[in-house]
Amino acid sequence: MNSGIDLQGIFIKSLMDLGLPPGAAKAIWLPLPMFLMIIGATVGVLVTVWLERKISAAAQQRIGPEYMGPFGVLAPVADGMKLVFKEDILPAQSDRLLFTLGPVLVVIPVFLSYLIVPFGQNLVITDIGTGIFLWVALSSIAPIGLLMAGYSSNNKYSLLGGLRAAAQSISYEIPLSLSVLAIVMMSNSLSTIDIVQQQSGAGILSWNIWRQPFGLIVFWICALAECERLPFDLPEAEEEIVAGYQTEYSGMKFALFYLSSYVNLVLSALLFSVLYLGGWNFPIPIDLLANLLGVSETDPWLQIITASLGIIMTLLKAYFLVFLAVLLRWTVPRVRIDQLLDLGWKFLLPVSLANLLLTAALKLVFPFAFGG
Amino acid sequence: MLKFLKQVGDYAKEAVQAGKYIGQGLSVTFDHMRRRPITVQYPYEKLIPSERFRGRIHFEFDKCISCEVCVRVCPINLPVVDWEFNKETKKKQLKHYSIDFGVCIFCGNCVEFCPTNCLSMTEEYELSTYERHELNYDNVALGRLPYKVTNDPMVSPLRELVYLPKGVMDPHGVPDTDRRAGQLPEEILEKSEK
Repeated sequence: MNSGIDLQGIFIKSLMDLGLPPGAAKAIWLPLPMFLMIIGATVGVLVTVWLERKISAAAQQRIGPEYMGPFGVLAPVADGMKLVFKEDILPAQSDRLLFTLGPVLVVIPVFLSYLIVPFGQNLVITDIGTGIFLWVALSSIAPIGLLMAGYSSNNKYSLLGGLRAAAQSISYEIPLSLSVLAIVMMSNSLSTIDIVQQQSGAGILSWNIWRQPFGLIVFWICALAECERLPFDLPEAEEEIVAGYQTEYSGMKFALFYLSSYVNLVLSALLFSVLYLGGWNFPIPIDLLANLLGVSETDPWLQIITASLGIIMTLLKAYFLVFLAVLLRWTVPRVRIDQLLDLGWKFLLPVSLANLLLTAALKLVFPFAFGG
Repeated sequence: MLKFLKQVGDYAKEAVQAGKYIGQGLSVTFDHMRRRPITVQYPYEKLIPSERFRGRIHFEFDKCISCEVCVRVCPINLPVVDWEFNKETKKKQLKHYSIDFGVCIFCGNCVEFCPTNCLSMTEEYELSTYERHELNYDNVALGRLPYKVTNDPMVSPLRELVYLPKGVMDPHGVPDTDRRAGQLPEEILEKSEK
């Protein structure tokens, strides 16, 4: 099977043709995709914020941002600019170091997790063997940052919010990893590329959505809880505890929290599409279409179309999930803290465990369909 | 064992039901997305207040006979009537009159009871000021012509839902000449008099 465009290989090769040593050529290449991904993630956040405001408005029969740029697309930019220029306030008797470290510890792992998000066969920053496990590991750093932020603010609401965030993240991490584990078991690999490859056989029919219906629901609920989206937004429930751990933050530090929550949402949506919706795959296999139309697999046009279609498909699937999250936000009321923990420990954990066992059994019985 | 299985079955049933209810809720939210927004873009568009709207009170100085009925019917005796007895004409002569709209509750009792109709309600409702004492209107301020939404060239007036023609839900672009749904009050009166 053809692996599609290899930008890295071509770039390095052309630099080496210019007379550069291979190491230097690689070093010049390395920052490019990282920079691109950071820009992409930030722009993705702006789009998500705008979408959230517009979809919320539509669900409530309002218009939403209207005058800031066409259809108000510049509203999130204006929000960001405002936060950049705001004074950075340090509350009295707070722990200066932890107060600053909190938002940093929350934001960095989220951006780091973009390392493993694939947009195509070779359109990924790094295809490391631990792949999806890296994301699970990185996402468990965030609660430490939240707890730091809550604890160092010298504010009761912040402390409560931080504790809630930690409790929530820790209890929802387990079913999340278990549902990911079921996928990993089916694809015999932790690498996100392999996980998508394994779903790319027969178009939409081979996506994991059909093989993991329970895992999918568990994953999505847990992802919403990890992102502190509305049914599970107790850590920042404004009616109860003002803004939770964010209460004392302003300016750029608050912007980091805000950014990380939306980056996390987009990341979860992207990983959901990678794990369950076939990543960059088109609902109909492109190879099949190309064969039908009589186009060669090595045709450069086909490769470019495949690559751009892959990016578009990944983003489309991810933004469909973001849309679903926004819709859920205006549908489901916030759960209480005891209901939250009940749902996490007494429902999602057993369901995901049973799902894991079921997947293992199915893998033994039907190895052709469940990646034996 | 059987009991345990039954418990699991019941639990699964409940979970499915909960999922179904969330699905129903989602469909309601989704359905709302295709409905038209009811937004009035406020400083550029304004709703026309109804004819019984109780806004700022208008006062006509020359009609007032200083009877102080407005003060007596007011829940908090708000209007300040400053008059002097004119011995030559043997009549009360009004010197100043004021109402503090920062305290007024716009109940309309004074308008209702004024024997000479020198008080009246307007459709002015944008009363905000930078300082609360500016809301204490004297007889000059009370005598100013009221602001009307329909007379402002900067504002496109929108009709409220009940004033729209029959079957029309969106006030945008409805011509002024279109009749509102149902009978007008004067028509009902005319019919009942016959």
